[in-house]
Amino acid sequence: MLRKRLVLLSIIIGFTFFISIQVFTQDAPEVSAQGKEVYEESCAHCHGIEGRGDGSAAENLLPKPRDFTRGLYKIRSTESGELPTDQDLFDIITEGMPGSSMPGWETQLKADERWEVVSYIKTFYDGFKESETPPRQISLKDKIPYSEDSVEIGKALYTDQGCIECHGNVGRGDGTSAATLTDEWGFRTWPANLAENWNFRGGTDTEDIFKRFIGGIAGSPMPAFEGDSFEHFGLTKEESKRLSEIENKDEMTPEEEEESGKLYEKMDVAVEALLDLAEGTELTPEAQKTYDDAMKIVYEKSWHLANYVKSLSPEKRPETAIGNNVLRSQYVTEDLPILGDEAWDTLQESYYPLVGQVVIEPRQFNPTIDSVRVKSFYNDTEVAFLFIWDDRTHNTEMEENEETGTSYEDGIAIQFPVKPPKGPTDEKPYFLWGGKKAVYVWQWKASAKDQITELTVKGVNNVTVQEKQGDLNVKGEYDNGQYRLWIKRTLATDDKKDLQLESGVFVPIAFSAWDGANGDKDIKRVMSSWYSFVLEPVPSSRRFIYPPIVALLSVGLLFGLRGFVLRRSSGSVETDIDQ
Amino acid sequence: MKTKLLTSLAVFLVCGFGLIVFADHHEKDEDMNKLVFPEKYTTMSVSAGGKITGVVKFNGEIPEKKKLEITKDEKVCGAEDKFDESLVVGEGNVLKNTIVYLIDISEGKDFDKEAKIEIDQKGCKFTPHVQIVPVGARIAMLNTDKINHNVHIFNKINKSVNKQQPKTRRKIQLAAVKKAEGPVEVKCDIHGWMKAWIAYVPHPYFAVTNEKGEFTLEDVPAGTYKLGYWHEYCGSNVKDPMSVTVKSGEETKQDFSVKVNK
Repeated sequence: MLRKRLVLLSIIIGFTFFISIQVFTQDAPEVSAQGKEVYEESCAHCHGIEGRGDGSAAENLLPKPRDFTRGLYKIRSTESGELPTDQDLFDIITEGMPGSSMPGWETQLKADERWEVVSYIKTFYDGFKESETPPRQISLKDKIPYSEDSVEIGKALYTDQGCIECHGNVGRGDGTSAATLTDEWGFRTWPANLAENWNFRGGTDTEDIFKRFIGGIAGSPMPAFEGDSFEHFGLTKEESKRLSEIENKDEMTPEEEEESGKLYEKMDVAVEALLDLAEGTELTPEAQKTYDDAMKIVYEKSWHLANYVKSLSPEKRPETAIGNNVLRSQYVTEDLPILGDEAWDTLQESYYPLVGQVVIEPRQFNPTIDSVRVKSFYNDTEVAFLFIWDDRTHNTEMEENEETGTSYEDGIAIQFPVKPPKGPTDEKPYFLWGGKKAVYVWQWKASAKDQITELTVKGVNNVTVQEKQGDLNVKGEYDNGQYRLWIKRTLATDDKKDLQLESGVFVPIAFSAWDGANGDKDIKRVMSSWYSFVLEPVPSSRRFIYPPIVALLSVGLLFGLRGFVLRRSSGSVETDIDQ
Repeated sequence: MKTKLLTSLAVFLVCGFGLIVFADHHEKDEDMNKLVFPEKYTTMSVSAGGKITGVVKFNGEIPEKKKLEITKDEKVCGAEDKFDESLVVGEGNVLKNTIVYLIDISEGKDFDKEAKIEIDQKGCKFTPHVQIVPVGARIAMLNTDKINHNVHIFNKINKSVNKQQPKTRRKIQLAAVKKAEGPVEVKCDIHGWMKAWIAYVPHPYFAVTNEKGEFTLEDVPAGTYKLGYWHEYCGSNVKDPMSVTVKSGEETKQDFSVKVNK
């Protein structure tokens, strides 16, 4: 018995010793216990215990949690290829990253805890320890203020520099390369929709946008505007223009060949300085000046471009608070405007944010459609709606792709209860495709753009296409990353399964949308909960008729009274009236 | 009771040990697809070196050629059909784009400083598909297409590179890297199908097989070396390298064939 124990004991000691060697021969990073503790408590679920971005929740997320082991950080105040500053990391932890799953931790973690986490995540990448000099910061000092002119210059650059390839003609993230992008880890990624800047990961200020240009978004397909790739580096604007002219020709004359050669030689001097700097070689004062002069133009152009990008989004995110955005249909006496009619521009749109459906399988954790914006007009017999939503890809059928996965058809659905609630306390149907109480749905699909299907739905597994498809007028279009759908229906129908509309009655309304390229199909979708829709009561015609009549009557009455009094007591009119 | 406790402790420790071994093993699996470099390399003049030549063949079933789907800029990119280049096998099963190199050479000749390191983007394809780049050398990226490209190099040890090359830029240069690594993937994000490989190497005894599957390593100091290979589709022989003996002033033939080993 004793011998057995001894054997076991020696095995244990042996292994303990072996493991100790394993553990102690690894570099023990100097970290505070607190940083590790906070990290493992609050961050590791997504970013993983070892910082590889592979925590237990990572699987369902896109964009993926950052892998800290490669030192690639998207949002930095530092130049291309540089590590972030501690402040950069602290700011991201504090503010979070809009449009991703990274929340801000300002209220969850105390400032010193956030700083501890900064120190701790830096231990995942040796480059932080090894770098001898602080990272080069992006200079913001020569900012070009926002102006129409600057926006114009930026707009031209947007096309010339190739931003358009991914971000699309008007910036909705719908460029021709948008559907095939992956990051350095091989995960699918989408270009930013520049018209919805509240989803920008690193802030909406012009300075923030500028920093993304100069520093790039590391690990993503978004390149940095490193001097010589952004610009004919080291050439004046005139020289650059001339070189582009020559190079855009199919054939160069010998003279042009020579001219371009000379310009290239000039550029090479500046590029040499740029490369030396990137390789860590110290520059001569002369080379430094060449570099600085060349960079000045790059910075200048980047400011113009930042101003242009800034101009693409509304000044602030549309109001999202429930209650503030009742969809109010406006009354008109004449025919309702069709799709493309200027009358629509006179209406302010109501903005409805959409979120991924995460209640039941299959869930959508990574929505790509931000919102749907709606406008509506009605007259005595009909109501018309305009639905507008951004979708980076136009998918009209199921397509299989090895690299990006299967995509499905895009679409949208507008959901109402079958009957308006009797009062504010009357229970609404379940917001997700109804339940015991049925919902009345208009479902539109991108493949049949001028058609719509009326559904009666009593829960996700109980969807009925209405036997009687009413004559709804529908027109849909897709242009530059945006769907516009126009629907017109009579206020009253002869189908009991349809919702009947009446002026002044508040009706619940909800939306679902499908981005097929993001794997949305059937119950996997983005959606809203219930909002309210009302045919704004007609500014009553009585308002214009009764007041004058009343006024006239009052005046008449006064005069009558006056005559009566005068007749009764002639001679003492004034006194009587005074009394 | 105590025995039980001790036994379970022992089992626990054995499991822990197993896990460590497994983790190490796991990391090595990743290394399988990388090149192996000597810890130190000293340059010297090699006067009577030998030569290693050979032909690399593919040993396995050749999958059907995969045509690439051209999703944009058809006029330039789709002028001729493009095929996936991860496995290019010629007549007689000769294998293109295989890196053949000496794993354990610690002294030998210096790089040819005059050699130009150029990768062209032509017809929306990187040429060459596999490029050896000396550590400390710059790479010139050419854009013969006159459309927008971007050069995205997925360096892991060195800083990763992502540079736009607008249609107006016929040539841009990439800064030299300091550390040997690779092969790393090169991509164009604008044209998702464009792929190439770069290996940053610390010594010049690397070759890439041509369309005849041929390679040549010249000026090798006499001696016995481990001969390694790497291929995008097939993997590498890091675990079990070949041995090759080079005699002064002589040519050593070393034909070999590779299987999918990934």
